[in-house]
Amino acid sequence: MANPAATRHTVRLEELGRAAEPRFGGKSTNLGELLASGIPVPPGFAIATGAFRRFLEENGIRERVGRSLRSADPDDVGGLRRISGELSGAVCSASLPEGLAREIIHRYRELAELAGEENPPVAVRSSAVGEDSEQATFAGQQKTYLWVRGAEGVCEAVRKCWASLYSPEALSYRARMAAAGGEPAMGVAVQMMVDAEVAGVMFTCNPLSGDPSTVAVNASWGLGEAVVAGEVTPDEYRLSKVTGEVLHRSIGRKHLEYRPDPSSAGVRVVEVEQARQGVPCLEEEHLQALVEIARRVERHFGTHQDIEWAIARGREMPGSLFIVQSRPVTTARRRSEGLPKARSAIELVMGTFGVVPDNGGRS
Amino acid sequence: MAEFASPFSIETPEGCEGWEEMYPPWALFDERRREHDENRLWFWNSMHFPVPMPAFDMVEVDTPYYALGGWQNRAFAVPAAAGVDYRVVNGYVYISSNPVTDPEKMAERARFFQQRAGYYFENWDELYGRWRERMEALNREVSEIPVPELPEYEPDAVVFEGGEPSWATLLASYRRALDCIERMWQYHFEFLLLGYGAYLTFSEFCKQALPDIPDQHISQMVAGIDVVLFRPDAELRRLARLAIDLGVADAFREGRSPDEIEAELGRSDAGRRWLEELEKVKDPWFNMGTGDGLYHYYGSWHDDPSIPYSSLIGHIAALQAGEDIERPTRELAERRDRLVREYEALLDEEARRTFRELLGLSRKVFPYVEEHKFYCDYWFQSRFFNKIREFGALLARHGFLEDGEDIFQLSRYEVMQALEELALTWSTGGEALGPHHWPQVARRRKELLKRLEGWTPPPALGRMPEAVVDPAIAMLWGVTPQQLQQWARAQRDGGGNELSGAAASPGEVEGPARVVRSLDEISEVRAGDILVCTSTSPAWAPIFSKIKATVTDIGGIMSHAAIVSREYGLPAVVGTGTATSRIKTGQRLRVDGTSGRVVILDG
Repeated sequence: MANPAATRHTVRLEELGRAAEPRFGGKSTNLGELLASGIPVPPGFAIATGAFRRFLEENGIRERVGRSLRSADPDDVGGLRRISGELSGAVCSASLPEGLAREIIHRYRELAELAGEENPPVAVRSSAVGEDSEQATFAGQQKTYLWVRGAEGVCEAVRKCWASLYSPEALSYRARMAAAGGEPAMGVAVQMMVDAEVAGVMFTCNPLSGDPSTVAVNASWGLGEAVVAGEVTPDEYRLSKVTGEVLHRSIGRKHLEYRPDPSSAGVRVVEVEQARQGVPCLEEEHLQALVEIARRVERHFGTHQDIEWAIARGREMPGSLFIVQSRPVTTARRRSEGLPKARSAIELVMGTFGVVPDNGGRS
Repeated sequence: MAEFASPFSIETPEGCEGWEEMYPPWALFDERRREHDENRLWFWNSMHFPVPMPAFDMVEVDTPYYALGGWQNRAFAVPAAAGVDYRVVNGYVYISSNPVTDPEKMAERARFFQQRAGYYFENWDELYGRWRERMEALNREVSEIPVPELPEYEPDAVVFEGGEPSWATLLASYRRALDCIERMWQYHFEFLLLGYGAYLTFSEFCKQALPDIPDQHISQMVAGIDVVLFRPDAELRRLARLAIDLGVADAFREGRSPDEIEAELGRSDAGRRWLEELEKVKDPWFNMGTGDGLYHYYGSWHDDPSIPYSSLIGHIAALQAGEDIERPTRELAERRDRLVREYEALLDEEARRTFRELLGLSRKVFPYVEEHKFYCDYWFQSRFFNKIREFGALLARHGFLEDGEDIFQLSRYEVMQALEELALTWSTGGEALGPHHWPQVARRRKELLKRLEGWTPPPALGRMPEAVVDPAIAMLWGVTPQQLQQWARAQRDGGGNELSGAAASPGEVEGPARVVRSLDEISEVRAGDILVCTSTSPAWAPIFSKIKATVTDIGGIMSHAAIVSREYGLPAVVGTGTATSRIKTGQRLRVDGTSGRVVILDG
């Protein structure tokens, strides 16, 4: 504990590299890497997993969780909901460690200066260690709070991210797994919000066939949540990763969109006016910029990526396009498995004419 | 399983009774083999034969299918496919492939095929080099066949030097002309199957490894940059520069005929130098075709110099306006290399090795695939038909025909008969029957052909097959099981206001349709039209700079319309089956060349 760095709970996103994943979680370090490789990512900062650990200790919550889990029946929904309420309540009402609150205020002011705005809107997201593992998903470590304003609001959202570890589903999972290994390591990413006119996700491969030569883009009006949550039928594009050509296009009926709540903080869902629902929300230049970014992000990470992006309202391309998240695609199938195997090209050509090789050849 | 109309249910259009007389009996649907013919799929080969066949031009149907079957079935013994059969319906050519389905037979054929095709692939460059020499020799041979004048008295040489009598030369020469076209078609198909097969294998491999890869990227990776077909225009660009360098560019004025331009050039030293250079270019580069070669009325630049001259005028004007007229070969090569590099990088090591090998093989065979058109379809065909015209002129001089051009209304056997009677009556000095017979035949058939042109052939007849096994049929004609299903649907329910075909060149546009059913109607095409046609050939080239998109009845991704559309960057949907019969000139269309869909917007 003598190491002064150990008390430093936050760091700017651009300072993070892959090596920092155990301390800051996957989401934050991925954003840091994107920034470092010149991908346009909104600025922000990351809160270390250690901050959460210290918070639990200082507030005596760790013991309470242990006790609750031991007594919990994973199949008793009512009981789990009650325990969840108690633990979440405890997390949300406990005070942050002294140093952490100060750091968050400081980092938020840095963002405010960058934005030229006193209380710029930010997104607060959980950043779990081993985020893409199945366990992390079950444990409910995927919370996001959008359009949070003010340092106080950020602190509150951070507590809520933490509290999400004690949702009834997460508790049930942990009780079932006998809570091996203690508390999950949970970081938090705080990132400036983009007031998205259009947003969506893209895969750097064909999500169905695994074809690595295409980029699949889904886009809709407003913030990306509508697409992520599947609440609209988005515009769908499949683009050639090689030439940028549009290979397939279908325009969805985008009947609702997420927009910042003008009355206060947070976002709200609004109806998209009839005339705009069936209008393509991306132009050719956006598609080309997305393909280019898909290529760069994929090259950087060396694996297919699932990327969330946003196009800022009232700005001109190329400065309006931002990447807000990237994570590896784990579900796509490897193409090469089904390919014909042959000793030579001639043998394959023979197959085209109906020659069946004697062994080990074309299926 | 979908079914099309029985070939035996097709009625003769009014006023076309007796059309069958133009065609050999075996090329007709005949009751005596009804059971066989009715239970298979026939599709209209509108890519090669978009209009009704004149009787003589049947040599371009009969001979190629002997040659194709001969190589595919008897020489290489392709395991899964024998040859392609054809029938003529109301003057239009329908074809059907003969599959081999017995596994034992296939295995037996595979042994031959592997050995024989393997030999060709292994020795391709050498064999193809020899092929080119043989083909050039044949092209010269057909041009040099003597057509004797039938003089009043035989020349001395016949009597004193043991020369051949004129009547014998006449008949031998005609037989030799037919012999030449048989050899041309033999040569034509010698490499074609193997070439397409190699290409198709690469194409299928790409689609398995990278399902979203556009067809045009595959062909761009394979296609040659510097192939023979681009030479004629390259020579014209060189001549355009030369005209400017020599200071004779002013002679090339829009609206002037080739004769007027040459007359002016002939009046100056510099102009005469240019004309000398032109003469050198003409052989062989003016053998470029004005059509796809399979009808007698297509010729070459030799026959219609207004085509190269109008290009020359355009090139010179562009050069004077400071434009760059060169083909961007470096950019094309760079684009091609980039495609290969990027696609390769997406594959794992083993797949990359196969990709490279197949690409290498495809590139080895592709010069033949592209160049045989110049040697066979343009150069040979234009020379061959001109030779036949010489016989036609002779028959006309002796009253057997009203016009030499009418020779094409007689079948090649009838021409032989006419020539034999001419040989007889010239020799005997007797009274010929021919002048009382053939002119009427020709007149009747010209009328029949004109009427048959008004009939719209259905895209397919008979019964749907289990699978399309012939690689050439899938690739060249775009006839795939999906395509057949779609044709069948369109036949059943009219297809609504939507058509689909092969996505041949990407992009989406809207515009007015212009339905063009023959070369004569090309002049009606206006700027901004969407061309709707059965299929296109190089003769249609001038209109691609005017139109917005192309929709064809027949054709695959390697068809002429597809290739030219990609070169011009125009959206194209090919092989829709029914575009020319369902779309009317003036209707607004939306053509999506990326997905292969055509929508009639005000249908």
